[in-house]
Amino acid sequence: MIEVKSISKSFKTVNALSELTFAARDGEITGLLGPNGAGKTTCLRIIYGLLRADSGEALIERVDANKYPLKARSNLGIFPDKFGLYERLTVREQIRYFGELHGLKGGTLEKNVQSVIERLDIATLADRKSAGFSQGQRMKVALAQALVHDPKHLILDEPSRGLDVMSTRILRDILREQRAAGTCILFSSHVMQEVAALCDRVVVMAGGKVAAEGTPDELCQLTGETALEDAFVKIIGSDEGIAA
Amino acid sequence: MSAYKTIWKKEFKDALRDKRSVLAAMSYAFFGPMLMAVAFFFLISQLTDPSDVKISIEGKQYAPELVEHLRENGIVERETDWPAEVTPIELSIPENWAEAIASATPIAVTLRADWSAQKQQTDVKRVEQALQAYSAQIANYRLILRGIDPRVIQPVQVAKQDMATRGSKAAIIMGSVLVFILLSVFWSGMNVAIDISAGERERNSLEFLLSQPVSSQAIVIGKVLAASCFALFGAMLSLILIPVIFSFVPLHQIGMSVDFSLEMLLIMFLALVPLALLATSLQLFVSFRAKSFKEAQTYISFLLIIPMAASFGVEFARLKTPLLYYLPLTGQHQTFLSLIRGEAVNWLGTGVSAVFTLLVAVLLTYLIGRMLKSEKTVFGL
Repeated sequence: MIEVKSISKSFKTVNALSELTFAARDGEITGLLGPNGAGKTTCLRIIYGLLRADSGEALIERVDANKYPLKARSNLGIFPDKFGLYERLTVREQIRYFGELHGLKGGTLEKNVQSVIERLDIATLADRKSAGFSQGQRMKVALAQALVHDPKHLILDEPSRGLDVMSTRILRDILREQRAAGTCILFSSHVMQEVAALCDRVVVMAGGKVAAEGTPDELCQLTGETALEDAFVKIIGSDEGIAA
Repeated sequence: MSAYKTIWKKEFKDALRDKRSVLAAMSYAFFGPMLMAVAFFFLISQLTDPSDVKISIEGKQYAPELVEHLRENGIVERETDWPAEVTPIELSIPENWAEAIASATPIAVTLRADWSAQKQQTDVKRVEQALQAYSAQIANYRLILRGIDPRVIQPVQVAKQDMATRGSKAAIIMGSVLVFILLSVFWSGMNVAIDISAGERERNSLEFLLSQPVSSQAIVIGKVLAASCFALFGAMLSLILIPVIFSFVPLHQIGMSVDFSLEMLLIMFLALVPLALLATSLQLFVSFRAKSFKEAQTYISFLLIIPMAASFGVEFARLKTPLLYYLPLTGQHQTFLSLIRGEAVNWLGTGVSAVFTLLVAVLLTYLIGRMLKSEKTVFGL
């Protein structure tokens, strides 16, 4: 369970988040939907403790990420905004590295590495260096790094950007599998289709605040629109920065 | 395994696969001593001109032993004519040489030359020395024949130690060799240090690394250790190669002998360990602030000037203050100087400067760790 409680954050003169509050429940996929610059990445970075909130709490299993970032992170799998791979290491070595950083060792480590490689169907890539990988392949490796320690929570920052249809489908399948295993998944997106296809709950963000919250259907009912996209536009009051 | 070891191991493996880093670490150690050895070769060949002195000898048929002695000392009769602009060096041996030698009476041998001619000074001096040596030899024989210890006429023996130009020139070059060894820790780990800090940021993997449940201190310690390994690898290579290369340089010809004993090299290496940690933590400190590899490279080239200026400055200015023994970098430098000169090493100074160096390295490492917690540095806000 990830709970964000009245978080505020400002950078110099820019007010990025103000009194943001929402929750992502276990066994559900929660979508953080918002136009560019709504504060999605800032919010996620606060949840994994890389940014410090000016006020408010970000709780992961009731651990405040601002106070105990290391403890909070050990419960998290992260797919960050920027995921660079180590191009001189093989995929297996990279996944193992992050497994070790999560404190896995010996047989457990090898078992987890192997199982995540199989789950993501990257066995053919596993012993290759990641230089020259396609965007889809890179996404899978980044996802494997996030999942190697079997996290109970998964945070993804616009995971589908730059992916083709096939890779996007694979990503969705993986996220559904994770949901079925009871993982709490929080992901940000500005792609409407994806949110509609995947999310159990949607948190619409605009200007650093929660503009609306609910299932895709609830949001449509709330606004009296039939398509989520129209509902979204109505909620945030403009059609700026949305991709269909 | 604790996190810093994981990071150390990974960064080291990663850097080993980076040909650029490995080459950078090795090329400095390889080409530096080579270049220095070449410079040495030229200097020595300039200082010691082994070619014979050619002079005119008049009446050489009267004293074949003297002529033979001169020849053994590289002074031979000239076969070609003297060039017009050069004053000839002429030695004339009188007719009554053999007779005078036999009767033990003084003989006047004339040496005619221009003592003010710069170019001929060494030549004239060599002739004079050879003649004097011959004279002393005969005097010794005569005394021995008369049952007198020749040492009675040498009450004072002057041991000449040449401190003149050739000596000081050599000292300067030897000093540069030491500075070179000191700087090896700054050069060899540089590329790795940039790659694992600014490079990590440029490749967009920094954010993910910092999002792991690992303290930023552990990350920094792992990275400092990985880069230090490269710095020390370069230092070790230079320490091994310098004695090997210098064993081919005819240092003895200019009256210099540098004896790199195994013990001395080991002490040098140990003294370089804290310096390597300082060098890499300083480089990481700077390049974690840079946004790209290129930017970091620019900063670090400037940074390299500091140790270079410091050590060459001390070397050439012949700075002498006891403080030098206790400071980072200069402390190691002084230890090296004492070692190479065969003087007693100021162990207290060496120890204090090692601890001091280590403390600065730890402080810098701590500061980088704090820096990586600040969102300002991480996201360049």
